[in-house]
Amino acid sequence: MIEFQTVSKQYPTGQLALYNVDLQMQQGEMAFLTGHSGAGKSTLLKLIALLDTPSEGQVVVAGQNTQKIKQRKIPSFRRNIGMIFQDHHLLADRTVFDNIALPLKIEGMRPQDINRRVRAALDKVNLLTKEKQYPQMLSAGEKQRIGIARAVVNKPAIILADEPTGNLDPDLATDIMHTFKQFNDYGSTVLIASHDHALIKEMKKRIIVLRKVKT
Amino acid sequence: MGAKYNKSGSLLSTHIGHHKEAISYSLKRLWQSNLSTWITLAVIGIALCLPSSLYLLLQNLKSLTDDKREVPTISLFIKQNISEQQARDRGELIQELSQIEKVVLVPRDEALADFRKITGFAETLETLDENPLPHVLVVTPHIDLIGNPANDMQKLAEKLETYPEIDLVQMDLEWVSRLRSILRISERAIFIISGLLALTVLLVIGNTIKLNIENRKEEIEVSKLIGASASYIRRPFLYTGIWYGLFGGVISLVLVHLALVSFVAPVNELAKLYSSTFIITGLKVSTTLYILLASSLLGLIGAWLAVGRHLRNSSIPA
Repeated sequence: MIEFQTVSKQYPTGQLALYNVDLQMQQGEMAFLTGHSGAGKSTLLKLIALLDTPSEGQVVVAGQNTQKIKQRKIPSFRRNIGMIFQDHHLLADRTVFDNIALPLKIEGMRPQDINRRVRAALDKVNLLTKEKQYPQMLSAGEKQRIGIARAVVNKPAIILADEPTGNLDPDLATDIMHTFKQFNDYGSTVLIASHDHALIKEMKKRIIVLRKVKT
Repeated sequence: MGAKYNKSGSLLSTHIGHHKEAISYSLKRLWQSNLSTWITLAVIGIALCLPSSLYLLLQNLKSLTDDKREVPTISLFIKQNISEQQARDRGELIQELSQIEKVVLVPRDEALADFRKITGFAETLETLDENPLPHVLVVTPHIDLIGNPANDMQKLAEKLETYPEIDLVQMDLEWVSRLRSILRISERAIFIISGLLALTVLLVIGNTIKLNIENRKEEIEVSKLIGASASYIRRPFLYTGIWYGLFGGVISLVLVHLALVSFVAPVNELAKLYSSTFIITGLKVSTTLYILLASSLLGLIGAWLAVGRHLRNSSIPA
């Protein structure tokens, strides 16, 4: 599902974020991406979602070489990837419902289908009662779960999460990780960047370690 | 990958849905916005109201010349050997021509009587044993003809001269050409002023949309992250531009009509003093629609320019 072939990424500033990375993930696999901060975890996730391009090597996602995807095809490519960030990236001026509905509206889904899908996503993250609230009324854990609900509402084939539990206390973090596992059980390929080693070990999934590039 | 949803309906209904969403969303945002939006709308309205009111002024000046005494007439002097009846018949034939508004026959006796009254040459005229004046057909050409190039009036004159009864064609061409050049200059002035003010509106709307984009930066980035296409992101801003133009246009029309209403009474009074039937005219429905269309288009173009410039410099590609 995800394949890196000798991928390097050097930023215009000269900083080498990734060097010679080879990686393979099967469809339906769940894995944790770990390593020291600055080891390039975020960069690796960005390359998968086409938020950035590799300097060298090839990134193949769902059988498509990402460098060969045309500019105007990028948006539809991204719709098959659900991304979750450490800071939830919710829109403050829209309700929880509207935030989650955004990906479906972009796809042009009918309103009645949107209603059904958003409620289903909210149900999965146990926040059905919060749909009319605004993000600032929610706790950090709730915001993160809304972010997850938005990422999975259109049933993406791939779910990427960048430090999704970074701001949460241990209980909530475990809860969130189990939510991801649930989506993995439904068939999504899940890759989570995290440096919470204890939690990762507990999940008993594949762990990919990025070592910091020696400069 | 690719299209995953059969339930999302056809491509067309998706497209219509996106437009509906962009329309309602942009209107809602405009409605919820603060004082500065209203000030912007007022600026656009005032800027647009200047060319429309100048246009209205010109239209009224043009219609003022509709007043019979103001329209240049062509005098056709009939040959001496032609009878009054023959002259009248010719007058009726001329009346049928498309370029002609009105033909009035002034018989020689009547002309002589007038001449006596006006000039005070009564005694001198008494000494003549015969009326020296010819019958005259006073031809009023259509008002449209005045705005046209000189040769149209000239052509009409040449045509009238070919009739056998006509001795001499005399027309007040100088009057025509003066009026025409004044109107032409005013029209050009209005054209230039309109152009400059349109540019102003374009810049104001462009800048407003630019600020709008900056305020919505986070939303744009998030939309991109979850796979919104460039056109999806662009659409609400383009509609916002259209609303600015349209509502600015509506405000300008309201201002113009208020100004017009305040002019009606004094203009009527003035017209009465000149015993003229002149009535001030407002904007025609077609002109009104045209102004609204043009202002909406200005909004769209302004927004388009801003969106093109400012949506591209985002940290997220595509």
